[in-house]
Amino acid sequence: MSGPSTAPDLEPAAGGPPGPRPAWVRVFVAVGVALGLLLIGAAGGLALGLPGTSAPAVPAADSVDVGFAQDMTVHHQQAVEMASWERDHSTDPALRQLAADIEATQTSQIGRMQGWLELWGAAALPVGGHMAWMSAPAGGHDGHDAAPVPAGGLARMPGMASSEELARLRAATGPQLDVLFLQLMLRHHEGGTAMLAYGAEQATMPQVRNLAGQMLRSQAAESDYLRRLLAERGGSPLPQ
Amino acid sequence: MVSGKNSKAVRNARAAVVTRRSVPWGMIAAITVVVLFAGFIFGYAYLRSQENEAREAAVAPFTPTAEKQDPSIDIPGVQVVPFQGGQHIDSPVQVAYTHSPPMGGTHDSSWAACNGVVYPTAVRSENIVHSLEHGAVWIAYNPDQVAGDALDVLRGKVENQPYTLMSPYPGLDQPISLQSWGHQLKLTDATDPRIDQFIAALRLNQYAYPEPGASCNELGPPNFSRANPPAFAPPPAPGTPGAEPETAPGAGVTPDGQ
Repeated sequence: MSGPSTAPDLEPAAGGPPGPRPAWVRVFVAVGVALGLLLIGAAGGLALGLPGTSAPAVPAADSVDVGFAQDMTVHHQQAVEMASWERDHSTDPALRQLAADIEATQTSQIGRMQGWLELWGAAALPVGGHMAWMSAPAGGHDGHDAAPVPAGGLARMPGMASSEELARLRAATGPQLDVLFLQLMLRHHEGGTAMLAYGAEQATMPQVRNLAGQMLRSQAAESDYLRRLLAERGGSPLPQ
Repeated sequence: MVSGKNSKAVRNARAAVVTRRSVPWGMIAAITVVVLFAGFIFGYAYLRSQENEAREAAVAPFTPTAEKQDPSIDIPGVQVVPFQGGQHIDSPVQVAYTHSPPMGGTHDSSWAACNGVVYPTAVRSENIVHSLEHGAVWIAYNPDQVAGDALDVLRGKVENQPYTLMSPYPGLDQPISLQSWGHQLKLTDATDPRIDQFIAALRLNQYAYPEPGASCNELGPPNFSRANPPAFAPPPAPGTPGAEPETAPGAGVTPDGQ
């Protein structure tokens, strides 16, 4: 406000040259601009929460999330192959129960990981080497400092059975089948822990971290059970 | 002083001259349009966000998400006790459960069939706890207190529903008790809305049970058979010779570290 002296100036000066505006115009402009900015800012804030305005996060092809889902699919798939064979061919009720549990659980977990990959527009299975996604500074604070993965990845993941071992499993019967199954599955579970621990810590999607952590804990408990069943049947664990 | 007075007078005179100008109607109209337009945008965004909130509140008040991993904390009366998974025993060993009915801990290596199974008789707890580990919700009821229509209401929530089972639990201190892994809710009324809330929040809640993906299917004889399930027995007191401890609470299912 410029004081009382401006009051008479509100009447337009007839024929006068154009110049600065009357006080009420300045107030109008200031309030109008402030209100406009406030409204647009508030609308922008609300729009951030509207559906469809923020694209869902999609992990990149070389991300931990994609690499974990692809490699753990391959790893799980062999466990399902061995477990379904054992369920159909073992005569030991405890082993058939265990094999059915592993087969069903890991089949469902493969389905989750494959569903994620589909939604992310990523390949269902890895091509080339495995575990190259575990390239971030190894170690971390919990002591999972496995040997660093070479740049091109590994040809075979830890814990995977060879074709010869799978052939021996299919050829075995009776107690010999059960012991070999327990040996291969125990080594398979333990071989997967480095990937699970890495995924549980380093994946960006909370659902991936959660599933990797659940796998890590439940397979550790199951490994204890496998070791017990193996000892009861006179077998000993295979070297990793 | 004189010069000061003069300069002030001059300033006033100049101000009077420069402010005596025409009103810029064009600019006023432009600002009015901009403000109206901003108001329209705000109004649209506001209405849309209100609709959105109302829809979310109506559809998924007890659905677990990465942000809210255990919605059962919003249900009054739910008891939460973390348990470690994967601790197995085999029949006839009994577990000294400290909760009645049990809600987690050591269990039999065979799970009780739990895909929409209504057991007419009480079932061995060690098998049912394994079903909880696989993500099932167990509706237990006191057979002396729940019958007729109330029992039918409960049965309707179980039959044909995957990862859901129901059985009588002799000696239950309330008419109804709901269990999922590490969670329990005791109720008196089969029409209590908290039953559906509990099921929505905890059945197959990937953040709340140890083995996502595990099965509820029956393996059949000589393993668990729903046609002839192992019979219920009251849990032995903790420390009873031959009884397996329930495991120390604490390790349990932990949400992912973030």
